[in-house]
Amino acid sequence: MITTSIKRRTLLGAGLAGASMLAMPSILRAQDKSLKVGVYGGYFKDSFDKNIFPEFTKATGIAVESIAEPTGEAWLVQLEQAARAGQAPADVSMMSQVAMLKGQSTDLWTPLDTAKIKNASNLLDRFVNKYPDGRIAGIGAVSWYITLVTNTDVYKEAPTSWTAFWDPANADKLGLLALVSNSFLLEVTAKTFFGGTNALDTEEGLLKAFDKLAEVKPNVRLWYRDEAQFEQSLKSGEIPMGQYYHDVTGLAAADGHPVRSTFPKEGGIQDSGCWALSRASQKSEEAHIFIDYMCQPSIQATLSRKVGTSPTVKREVTDLTDKEFAAVSSDIEPIVPRYDLYQTKSDWLNQKWTELIVG
Amino acid sequence: MSGLALQNVVKEFGAFRAVNNVDLTVPHGTFVCMLGPSGCGKTTLLRMIAGLDLPTGGAIRLDGEDITRLPTHKRNLGMVFQSLALFPHLTVGENIAYPLRIRGAAKEDQKKRVDELLAMIHLSGYADRPVAKLSGGQRQRVAIARALSISPKLFLLDEPLSALDAKLREAMQVELRQLQQKLGITTIVVTHDQREAMTMADTVVVMSGGEIRQAASPIEIYRRPADSFVADFIGQTNLLEVQADSAGRAEVLGQAIPGLALPAGANKGTLSVRPEDVHLTAPGAGALTGKVTFVRDLGGTIETFVDIAGHQIVAVSTPRARPDVTVGQEVGIALTPDVCVVLKK
Amino acid sequence: MRREPPQSLGDYLPLLFPAAMLTIFFVVPFGTMIAVSFFQRQQGGFYTPAFVFDNYARFLSVFFGGVLGFSLMLAIIVAICCVVLALPFTYMLTRMARKVQVVWLVALLSILSLSEVIIGFAWSTLFSRTAGITNILVALGIMEQAKALTPSFGAVLTGMVYQAFPYTVLVLFPALVRLDPTLTEAARTLGASPLRAFFTVVVPALRNTITATLIMVFIFALGSYLLPQLLGRPQHWTLSVLITDQAIYQSNMPFAAAMAVFLVLVTLGLVALTVIAGRKGEAA
Repeated sequence: MITTSIKRRTLLGAGLAGASMLAMPSILRAQDKSLKVGVYGGYFKDSFDKNIFPEFTKATGIAVESIAEPTGEAWLVQLEQAARAGQAPADVSMMSQVAMLKGQSTDLWTPLDTAKIKNASNLLDRFVNKYPDGRIAGIGAVSWYITLVTNTDVYKEAPTSWTAFWDPANADKLGLLALVSNSFLLEVTAKTFFGGTNALDTEEGLLKAFDKLAEVKPNVRLWYRDEAQFEQSLKSGEIPMGQYYHDVTGLAAADGHPVRSTFPKEGGIQDSGCWALSRASQKSEEAHIFIDYMCQPSIQATLSRKVGTSPTVKREVTDLTDKEFAAVSSDIEPIVPRYDLYQTKSDWLNQKWTELIVG
Repeated sequence: MSGLALQNVVKEFGAFRAVNNVDLTVPHGTFVCMLGPSGCGKTTLLRMIAGLDLPTGGAIRLDGEDITRLPTHKRNLGMVFQSLALFPHLTVGENIAYPLRIRGAAKEDQKKRVDELLAMIHLSGYADRPVAKLSGGQRQRVAIARALSISPKLFLLDEPLSALDAKLREAMQVELRQLQQKLGITTIVVTHDQREAMTMADTVVVMSGGEIRQAASPIEIYRRPADSFVADFIGQTNLLEVQADSAGRAEVLGQAIPGLALPAGANKGTLSVRPEDVHLTAPGAGALTGKVTFVRDLGGTIETFVDIAGHQIVAVSTPRARPDVTVGQEVGIALTPDVCVVLKK
Repeated sequence: MRREPPQSLGDYLPLLFPAAMLTIFFVVPFGTMIAVSFFQRQQGGFYTPAFVFDNYARFLSVFFGGVLGFSLMLAIIVAICCVVLALPFTYMLTRMARKVQVVWLVALLSILSLSEVIIGFAWSTLFSRTAGITNILVALGIMEQAKALTPSFGAVLTGMVYQAFPYTVLVLFPALVRLDPTLTEAARTLGASPLRAFFTVVVPALRNTITATLIMVFIFALGSYLLPQLLGRPQHWTLSVLITDQAIYQSNMPFAAAMAVFLVLVTLGLVALTVIAGRKGEAA
């Protein structure tokens, strides 16, 4: 399937190239001024198509063809296979941090030149994704928080710490994400009880975190894969506590549902996506212009207001009000997931995790 | 009173009255055939006796006990269905033993009884065969044996022989009658085959339109039909209008029949004359004269169709007892009062 | 009437289309799956063609054995519950007026049109503490306090039986319609109560149909992966849930394929055993 579509695209490309050499050079120029951008399909793509891309084209004259990325790591696999054939289904793609690391291992990402991205100086350090040798593989695109959420009817007082998950008083009341690679509960455990996510560096440390996490099990009513299922239960108070997306919870509260999102004192979990440029892309110039554009404080502020993502740039450079900032982020130092673990130890972690919750 | 009694039995399906005020007494040990065209209510009546349908009104008594509302399985009867309804998952022996097994009989007793019944139906040694491997006649006999295995008080059969071919059916009719006489069991058979009814029954019950038209011995039904429906339904007959002339003598087609009288007070009626009672004579020598329209020579008997003023009369005779007539010839017809049955109007 | 065997190549033509469809849509995907199950997994969503048994080796553990055992047990219980409920129901249905039958069958078909997700959500609401059926019991004064009935094994079982019930009825229906109604009447005239007639005549006469239905529902239930997640705790997750996890979330196709192949083999084995046992039972 993939190979045939690439073949067809190759043929089409060759035909177009031939035709355009004979035709007027302006067509070539118009073609130059475009960029294919891969964005997570669904909510993100819709929001970007509506709020970001038209403005970008207006400001730079570069047309954007947005491409919906499939979930999981399928897009990484497609990019990798296409790059081997010298093709780029998208020039710039929004990639998860684990996918960034996996792409690094095959040099899939064209190193970015910060000299061409002057707004990169605004970025928080953790949003610059680097190869082990220091080359820049990707630049933060969007980020979001997973926080401690509660039903306000059931919990009159907001909890202050992730330790609430371990409180025997909360037996059978929690809704937690079902996968090791999207719940990041090992990091939460390490930060809350073992002084930080560095505690997960060793296998011994990981096993200790697993043991500690096992104590949460009796409190868990639902291990969810489907967000709607937990959100519904949280709103109704059926499952009054758990981990969930900060911005979505805020929207639900604004709609009058009895829910709240709390940044625990140990910090919320901050997950993010990077812009990365496929090594097969011929549009390096345009890509740098695009990434630079996206790093502008004003664009990050727009994303916060319109899409609900947390800014990847320092708070003080944005014009977000306290209220707007609190709706998407927090000044408390976040828990940043140990993405490296999910690249190097993914099968082991998955096996341990499944045994933990299923066993 | 010993035997079966139906009192004013009514069965309605919605607005349709399938059985209408049926009264019938079947003394113990009697073989009754219920005969009638399809839709006459005979099967419904049988199903009510079995308890498979509940009467809308009336009562059913067996040996003096009211069984109108008694569930089927408590009636201790034996029934043979038109489809035979042999249990496909059981062997011949298991089928026959089924009523005994249901009643919790000991295994040895079941086996003994099955062997007895198999001997009775001439199928000894068939106990372990699957029923699917039997011929039509054998299946028929197994169904009968199964129905009789508990020696029921009442033996009911719904069109039991209709699936068999003509020869086998005739043989089974005789066999069934002999079996019934040997066992002395009260038996009710539903059939639409009058020959079957005449062969087997002590009492034939002729039904039509949900009602009993006549219940009597086969020969009486034949000889003395109660009405024109019975006369016409049982065997062949010639139905002729009869009326009284001014002197009170009975007149058929304008000809007086000497010695024949109408029931008191009636001046009109229908006359039934069986074809074998119609004697052909020389023209003018009989009571009536007509023209031969068709001759069916069957070898053993000859049917002569005679037209008298637009009415057709059929005469059946043996070759020797008949004048040699051909189509178009004029013949005389002799009607003697002893062969004429005047039917209620 | 004698059917002529196909004489020329042309006579086989009508077979070609279904044969091709079967190959394209069943044989090829299944063959691919078997092939992938022997491939070498590379962490990070990739795999390379190879012939290794690692994926099967990983599966052969007490943990996965337990999950497989639970999945099989759950599917068997669902199959038994469905047949036990559907057999008397369908039997009564076939004896109702045609109009009533049509209404019921349409209702059952409409359940079939519901997706697993909708069924799961509906039951999780019905079993919830805040909006569930226990609130009715409380209102009636039967229960002290509303409580959640999900997640639990009972909830998973209920959801799956609900989902498989229409299939069961639709499979049983034709066989029960064809069943000669005079068989039960005969049993009743021979002294069996209606209940006894049902168990001594209807059930044994339909033995083959019942076995086939059990197998069908069993296989159907084995593939369920959403309801155990929506209505159960992790210990009620079936092997299908773990296969989905591996295939979709871990991008571990070789391992997912190996688990799926194993599941198919165990299923085929069980079905074969059932059929053999059925034959033996018939011979005895």
